[in-house]
Amino acid sequence: MKKLISVVLCLLMLVSIVTISKPAAAEDSQGKVFNIYAWNEEFKGFFEKYYTVPEGVTVNWIINPSDGGVYQQKLDEALLNQASAADDDKVDMFLAEADYIGKYVDSEYTMGIDQIGYQNADTMYEYTIKAASDANGVCKGVSFQCCPSALIYRRSIAKDVLGTDEPDEVQALLDSWEKFEAVAADAKAKGYYMTASFAETYRVFSNNCTMPWVDEEKNLQFDPMIDAWIAQTEKFIQNEYTLDCGIWDDEKNQQMFADGKTMCFFGPAWYFNFCMGNAQDPEKGCKGDWAICEGPMAHFWGGTWLLAAAGSDNTAMLKDIFETFTVNEEVCENLVANEAQYPNNTKVVEKFANDPTYGSEFLGGQNDILAFSKLTGNIKWENHTNYDQILNESLQSCLQEYFKGSVDKDTALATFYQKINETYPDIVTP
Amino acid sequence: MSLDNRSLNGRRKSVSYAKWGYIFILPFFLVYIVFTLVPQVLTIYNSFFTNYMDGLKHIGPEFVGLKNYVSLFTPNKQGSILILKYAANTMILWFLGAVPQFLIALLLAVFFTSYRLNIKGQGFFKTVIYMPNLIMASAFSMLFFTLFSKVGPVNQFLQQSGIMDKPLDFFASKVTVRSLIALMNFLMWFGNTTIVLMAGIMGIDQTLFEAATIDGANAVKVFFKVTLPLLMPIFVYCLITALIGGIQMFDVPQVLTNRLGMPNRTSFTLVMYLNNYLSTSKNYGMSGAISVIIFIITGILGGIVYKFLSAQYKDPVEKPRRARKGARK
Repeated sequence: MKKLISVVLCLLMLVSIVTISKPAAAEDSQGKVFNIYAWNEEFKGFFEKYYTVPEGVTVNWIINPSDGGVYQQKLDEALLNQASAADDDKVDMFLAEADYIGKYVDSEYTMGIDQIGYQNADTMYEYTIKAASDANGVCKGVSFQCCPSALIYRRSIAKDVLGTDEPDEVQALLDSWEKFEAVAADAKAKGYYMTASFAETYRVFSNNCTMPWVDEEKNLQFDPMIDAWIAQTEKFIQNEYTLDCGIWDDEKNQQMFADGKTMCFFGPAWYFNFCMGNAQDPEKGCKGDWAICEGPMAHFWGGTWLLAAAGSDNTAMLKDIFETFTVNEEVCENLVANEAQYPNNTKVVEKFANDPTYGSEFLGGQNDILAFSKLTGNIKWENHTNYDQILNESLQSCLQEYFKGSVDKDTALATFYQKINETYPDIVTP
Repeated sequence: MSLDNRSLNGRRKSVSYAKWGYIFILPFFLVYIVFTLVPQVLTIYNSFFTNYMDGLKHIGPEFVGLKNYVSLFTPNKQGSILILKYAANTMILWFLGAVPQFLIALLLAVFFTSYRLNIKGQGFFKTVIYMPNLIMASAFSMLFFTLFSKVGPVNQFLQQSGIMDKPLDFFASKVTVRSLIALMNFLMWFGNTTIVLMAGIMGIDQTLFEAATIDGANAVKVFFKVTLPLLMPIFVYCLITALIGGIQMFDVPQVLTNRLGMPNRTSFTLVMYLNNYLSTSKNYGMSGAISVIIFIITGILGGIVYKFLSAQYKDPVEKPRRARKGARK
């Protein structure tokens, strides 16, 4: 009898489990869970502020740090499982950076934006479309920002060293590397650093490379620009024009406080809020003591693209998000006014650039949108490889030991090649 | 089972309890086979293949025989065999931490178990020394990284107290990085070792200590002639488990040196090497080969330690031999 009761109870339990776990029939073709992969909270903040999620849809953020390629690893795992994952577990949208966007755009794991009914607007910057397009010209996503990068300098230090803090005059004194180095010597004589990290100027050089990191046979190649960066950094370290810490280190960030001794930083619009928190600190910071100019070389840095993952069951929402952050003028204006972003919308850019009342409080009233808009014409999307993130990161970390004096240059480069051999078996190193 | 029952079954010579023993240990063996043995065999199998990801493309698997092993032991252009260098790094890092770990643990274990000292508040001390082991190694490493950074509190203290006039870059010198890693491993593990050694000492018959004292042996003599020989089985067990853990050292140097094993990869361990192959390109072939080598090294070193230490202390008295046999099982 006891056995019978227990068997019956077990059966009842099983039946109830089965009925509960049976998925409720979808009311329409659109999914109820929207999964977004990202490497930090930056876009999440904008998304939660400016995008209204359709009723009944849950948004899941899966955030992994970018450092060391962790984000790519986790994303790759999810994308490779995309086909077998349940609809609600599928990646719907993911973020990608300039350094590796090609890897995803040129794969079957992203879908063309035409498939979700979205069309690129003519207010978008050309290079943002090119970056998100595969070899056949199929565009797989959009960017909500455009990232011309500028020389960001401390007005008070510039006044002391150069005698002026007017962006046009400062630019005239810093528009070539020769002038930049000469000013570095002046700054040093007055007790300042020109830059706060050995790698501060890396992006300026690497962005002007004329060949990609690897050729068609996957041979590693050093562009003359990379060599020029190494040569300049050797000089800067030797003369103590810069510090030997990395670009994301606390030691560098402390230089952004009011008592910092560093004159120049390099970065695009996202740099102000994302990296210059110390400068904006109400007590120890120096808000308003900053300004931007083009600097020795035009370049751009980074940028976040939103890519549509193939297999997403939330195509309508994808289209909606893309539109919100590219063509919705109200949102783009908010991105400028409240978030210090440079939007991917020329119409909104024009409006701010021509508005005499607009000025950035952080930059002492300078119209950053106007200044950045003059640099956008220089952005070219070329010479990118799928390996850029790890190669750029590893080159900097290996050479840092050389600049610190722990090893000689050949040893540092040998470690760099070794790291490449371990990470990318296909690349042929010298 | 009552006496009556036993007499009823009198014809049977004895009741076999062995099968219950086997049933009780069965879950362990099942778990071991599924989660340890099978992956281990697969790792060895994978080490004979080329098998990795190039971006989102899968390359292989293609059988290549011993090619992965050959490339691991081929000297690089600077003429050094990297895996040997990293193996040496690993052993140095382990050794630097293990020596103080065992010395301090032995000392504390003897203090805590001494009936003459009879230390009060033992529970408290035991908890405190065990604490660092409860912190995640990566969190602990982040803490040390922040503490010893060029703008961290340690450097601030050194400068403000006038000991240094410039910040000391702890991560630019082989000696300081290795010392920091050793210090962290020591802090994390000496508590654990103390607890295990204490259990070992408490398992020794107290009358032996009393007898030795009555015979006029001082504390040092008691330690070397009574405690240590009788503790040897447990000590060897501790040493071998610590050694195995040491060879697999990963999280502390990985996080503390931001994956680089700086300077010049002098604190780069075998498992960090393995991880470099595995993390981005999922290179199962090469990382499988490194795993197999780590497995072999572990086996050899474990064997050496066991032979060397247990041979020295063979059967000093009748009683501990039984104890040792028990420990072996």
